[in-house]
Amino acid sequence: MTAGPVQLAPLAGQVEIHNRTGENASCVGQNKVFCPSWAFDNFDRYTTPLVNQLVLVLVAVAIGFAVAFAFAILSHRQRWLVPTFTAATGVLYTIPSLAFIFLLLPITGLGWTTAIIVLSIYTLQIIYRNIVAGLANVPAESKDAGRGMGMTNRQLLWRVELPLALPEIIAGLRIATVSTVAISTLMVFANVNTLGQPLYQQIDFKTNIVIAGVLSILMAIVLDLLLLAAQRLLAPWRRPSVEATV
Amino acid sequence: MIAASRLPAVEAGRPAASVSYQHVTKRYPGQDDAAIHDLSLEVQAGEICVLVGPSGSGKTTALRMVNRTVEITEGDILIGDTSVRQRDPAELRREMGYVIQQIGLFPHRTVAENIETVPRLLGWDRARARKRADELLGLVGLSPALRDRFPSQLSGGQQQRVGVARALAADPPVMLMDEPFGAIDPINRERLQNEFLRLQSEIRKTVLFVTHDIDEAIKMGDRIAILEEGGRLAQYATPAELLMAPASDFVEDFVGADRALKRLALMRVRDIDLWEAPLAFVGQATGEVRAKLNGAEVPHALLVDSERRPLGWLSESDLRAETVPQTPDSSPDPILDLDDVMRDALADLLASETQYAPVTDRDGRIAGVLSIEIISDFLGSPEAKIEEHAAVERPVERPLSE
Repeated sequence: MTAGPVQLAPLAGQVEIHNRTGENASCVGQNKVFCPSWAFDNFDRYTTPLVNQLVLVLVAVAIGFAVAFAFAILSHRQRWLVPTFTAATGVLYTIPSLAFIFLLLPITGLGWTTAIIVLSIYTLQIIYRNIVAGLANVPAESKDAGRGMGMTNRQLLWRVELPLALPEIIAGLRIATVSTVAISTLMVFANVNTLGQPLYQQIDFKTNIVIAGVLSILMAIVLDLLLLAAQRLLAPWRRPSVEATV
Repeated sequence: MIAASRLPAVEAGRPAASVSYQHVTKRYPGQDDAAIHDLSLEVQAGEICVLVGPSGSGKTTALRMVNRTVEITEGDILIGDTSVRQRDPAELRREMGYVIQQIGLFPHRTVAENIETVPRLLGWDRARARKRADELLGLVGLSPALRDRFPSQLSGGQQQRVGVARALAADPPVMLMDEPFGAIDPINRERLQNEFLRLQSEIRKTVLFVTHDIDEAIKMGDRIAILEEGGRLAQYATPAELLMAPASDFVEDFVGADRALKRLALMRVRDIDLWEAPLAFVGQATGEVRAKLNGAEVPHALLVDSERRPLGWLSESDLRAETVPQTPDSSPDPILDLDDVMRDALADLLASETQYAPVTDRDGRIAGVLSIEIISDFLGSPEAKIEEHAAVERPVERPLSE
């Protein structure tokens, strides 16, 4: 594992490289909050962690959604499963992430698989509960009308219940995605080179902390906005412009 | 069939089917008493049958057994000659229009998409379903401009019309309506009831209509089934029979003490002999008008335009001028239609505190004048009299004037 006690040696190296301008060197030397010139010259060292983290988040949320969705559909017709699934995903959610990684160590070792398993499992609780709540909040009269017009259970689910639950499902995905972005930095401890890697490697170098932190926050914001946009697109009846005309 | 003329050419009107309850019993698990007891009922094709009764009388249960959203415990229901129990529930329901009190429009679908629901389930292609939706919007009196709105953007009355259009989309032989106008305010309910009756006179569906409101039952029903507690049929008769000869104390109580008044709900303005008002035209010499007023049934002159559409009543001061003025002192309101229900007409007269109301035909031309006196004469006539014993048994309810 590369993350460990932070040494100032690399920092000295940076000073070496960036002493073209005295200003830059002194910025890094004084460890100011943000050194733009250094950031510009060294941005490439963040691209791989950034891409890794993005892939990790997308894969983990996708798998988490698939599993939670399957659970939700299963428990939609078998209501007694709801408390069981809620409790189970809730317990999994409480396991500390580092402990989780070490728990998986003997089974999947270190690496992407472990990271994906941990992150996916954390998303289950939020996504599952939101799908279940979304389905439960579908107006009874819409279901009555759908059934009364001759929809089969499957048609009712796909044409009425799921579309109407969509805003709540996406709301769950948004929370899950943002929290997964945050936890994914920790996956450096599972030996995946996420933004946690530079973060923990040079934890005393403020410019480094700012860049890695800001990139991670930006990723969360961008993914959140994309999901919001998807919701607007997929649920036009819930657009403010539609609701305002009521 | 008249239905076919206005119903779109693409869908030739399907003939209505009869509905026959045959010794139907419904027991819910865990309940001692049956919700429906041995109900037998024949609904003729093309008729509106109203199921009415107090809460707990099983009227909604009786309705829902027809499309098997509630399963029958014993007995059978036939649609035409076919038992509903032999049909696949989903397929059966696609052949029945279904309108519920909460309307149940799909909030995530546009007006057009809502109306297209059953046609799409039946596998119609998009273009055919879309065309049908536009036709139905017209049929229920909604602008095609509403087609792409979402239900939340419509008023309650508009939503209910879309609900009716959606139920009619696949031209079902049978319509099931469960308190369809129950959640609508009284003024719009009145309007929707009238619209539906007008629509029904063209489409002639077999309609099962549930309500708890006996006035609505009398207005809407060709026949009324009164159910009592436990889903027992208390009486099945036409509204007039029900009002004139209630079969039991329960029915009599349920129908209410104001049966004479209720009979007004069964009549239209055209069914009664109207009075004639002296007509006046703009610019006519007032002398001529005064001459007509002598001995006229209505002691006021009604100003009409060249198409004989009422403009207003002429007052004494209007007639003091040389010629009939363009703007009379009092408005002609309320203006009634020949097709208005008598009870509504009386309500309009009372609400506007007038003695007389001009009645117009379909083109808005004057057809006569209705007065409070005509109505009270009718109520006092033998035709409207119901057996006297009802009043004797309940002296409290005798008119105060006696």
